[in-house]
Amino acid sequence: MLYCIEARSLLKSYGNFTAVDGIDLRVQSGKIFGFLGPNGAGKTTTMKLLTTLIPPTGGQMNILGIDAIKSPLEVRKKIGVVLQQPSYEPTLSVEKSLEKYGMMWNVEKKIRKERVEELLSAFDLVEIRKKKNDDISIGQRRRVQVAREFMHDMELLFLDEPTVGLDPSARRGLLDYIKVKVKDGLTIFFTTHILEEAEYLCDDIAIINKGKIIAVDTPEDLKNKFGREKTIKIHISEQKNVSALLSEIQDCKIEYNSGIITVHSNKSELVLQNILQILASNHIPVEDLSVVPTSLEEIFLSVVKNSNASNNSSGQ
Amino acid sequence: MHPIIRLVNRNLTISLNMGFVIWQIIFPLIYIFVAGFAYTALIHQVPFGNKTLDYPAFIATGMIGFNIMNSTLISGIIIWNDRRHGMFEQILVGPFTRAQYILSNVYTIGIIGLVSASMITAVGYPLFFKQVEFNILTVPLVIFASITGAILFGSIASIISTRLKSSEGFNVVINTVFLFFAFVSTAFYPAQGAPPILSTAFYFNPLTYLVDVVRAGIFGYFNDLVATEMIVLGVGAVILFLIATKLLSKLEL
Repeated sequence: MLYCIEARSLLKSYGNFTAVDGIDLRVQSGKIFGFLGPNGAGKTTTMKLLTTLIPPTGGQMNILGIDAIKSPLEVRKKIGVVLQQPSYEPTLSVEKSLEKYGMMWNVEKKIRKERVEELLSAFDLVEIRKKKNDDISIGQRRRVQVAREFMHDMELLFLDEPTVGLDPSARRGLLDYIKVKVKDGLTIFFTTHILEEAEYLCDDIAIINKGKIIAVDTPEDLKNKFGREKTIKIHISEQKNVSALLSEIQDCKIEYNSGIITVHSNKSELVLQNILQILASNHIPVEDLSVVPTSLEEIFLSVVKNSNASNNSSGQ
Repeated sequence: MHPIIRLVNRNLTISLNMGFVIWQIIFPLIYIFVAGFAYTALIHQVPFGNKTLDYPAFIATGMIGFNIMNSTLISGIIIWNDRRHGMFEQILVGPFTRAQYILSNVYTIGIIGLVSASMITAVGYPLFFKQVEFNILTVPLVIFASITGAILFGSIASIISTRLKSSEGFNVVINTVFLFFAFVSTAFYPAQGAPPILSTAFYFNPLTYLVDVVRAGIFGYFNDLVATEMIVLGVGAVILFLIATKLLSKLEL
C-alpha cells in the first residue's frame, strides 16, 4: 500500500504549550483523508507542519516519499495548499488571480489559459471574472482561493476548511469537484468542522483532540466502533401511562413525549422487542417506527467527550 | 522561469497600476515645475561643489532621489499587503523559499527605483540640461544611487511592515518616517544656509546621501565627500537589508 503522508511522533511545542503531541499519521495515496477535531485541537498546526510551513519540534515526516524536514521545498513543489485563512491579491481581477497564480507555479501559458477557463466555469466564477478580488463577497473570494489551487499540477492537496463561507450549492459543487480530482489520482488531506462533509467525502478519518490523535478509521468503522448506541422513535396514539409501562425495561434510556417514545440503547434490538411486546399486550397500536442511524457527528462528540474525560481523570 | 523572476513578475503586476504610475510622475512634476519655479524668487542659486546651480535644476535632481525613495514604499506595501491578505503564507507553502521571497522584493524595488529615476531624469532634463556635465562617472553614480537607495529605503519600509500589526499604525509610521526623510534632507533645499541643527540633521538622513550622489553624477562633481557618502549609503543599505531579511525570516506563521 502506498502512503503519501507518513508522520511519526510528530511534535510541535510553543514554550510550555504542546500544540501537536507526538502524533502518528499515515495517509494512503489516492484517498481523501479527513482530519477532524474541535477548535484548538491542533488541526491547523498539523496542517502547517505537513505543508512544511513551520518546522516540527520533534518527530519525522515523509511526504510523497520525501523527507519533509530535510527537503521542504521539494515537498512544496509537489503539493497544493488551501489555507484556512483567506488569501488573495486585492488589486487583481478574479481571472487575473488565477492566471498569475498559474504563472507563479510555472505553468505553461497555453495550459494556464485553458485552466483559467475550466476553473472559472467549474467554480461558477464566469460572471465575476473581471471583478477585482476586493470587490467580491467573502464566499466568492473563497471559491477563487480554492479554484486557484487547481491551476497547477500536484500529487497531494491540503484543504483546511475549504468550504467555510460557501453557500450549500457552492459547497456541494466543490466537494463533487474534489471527488472527480481524486478519481484522477489526487490525494486530499481535508480538515473540516462540518461532519456531513467528512462523511460525504472522506475515505478515512482521524480525530484529533488536545494535540493527540484519538481515533483513525473509515467513517463506517468509526461508527461501528463508537456508534453502538442507536436511537429508536416509536409513534403511538397519545397514552397516559406509557412511561410507567416501559419503566421496567433495562439497558436503555426511554423518553415519552406527545405520542413519541424515544429510546437510546446499545442493545437496541432486544430493547425494541421488549417495548413492542409491552405495547402489544396493552393493546397500544404502533403508528410509525424508525431507527435513527448514528451520525458521524454523534461519534465525533462522543469520542472527543471520552478523550476529555480520560485526560481529566489522568490529570487528577 | 526562475522562481525569483516569477515572484518579481507577480510583485510588479500587483503593485503597478495606472494610479500609481501617474502619481509617480505627476507628484514630482508638481514639485519640479511648481515649487521649482515658485521658490526661484527666494532661492536663486544653490552652490554645489565647485559650481552654482539654478534652483529648478537643483530640485529636479533632488526629485530623482525623492522619487526613488517614494517608489520603494512599494516594498513595504507588498509585504504588508501579503501579510494582511494571507499571501505571505500562501507563497511560502508554494514552490518558493523565504530567501527567494525577500530577494524578489529587492529586485522589484530595484527595478521600480531605476524606472522612477529614469522617468524623473527624462521629465526633469529640460530644467538641468544646461548644467549637466556628463562624464565617465555619471551613469555609474546614478545607477549606484538608484539601486542602493532603493534597497536602503525598501529595507526600511520592509522593517516597518514586519513590526506593525495594524494598518493604521503602518500608515502613520511609514508616512511620518518618509516625511522626515523627504523634508529633512537636501532633496528640496541646500544644507548651506539652514539653521545649524537642521543642516546637521540633514546628514543623519540617507536621502541626503542619495540625492548628493545623484547630483554628483549628473553635475559631474565627484570629491571625497561624495565618495564617503557612497560608502555610507552602501553600508547602510547592506545593514538595513540584513535586518529586514532577519526580521522577515523570523516572521511567525
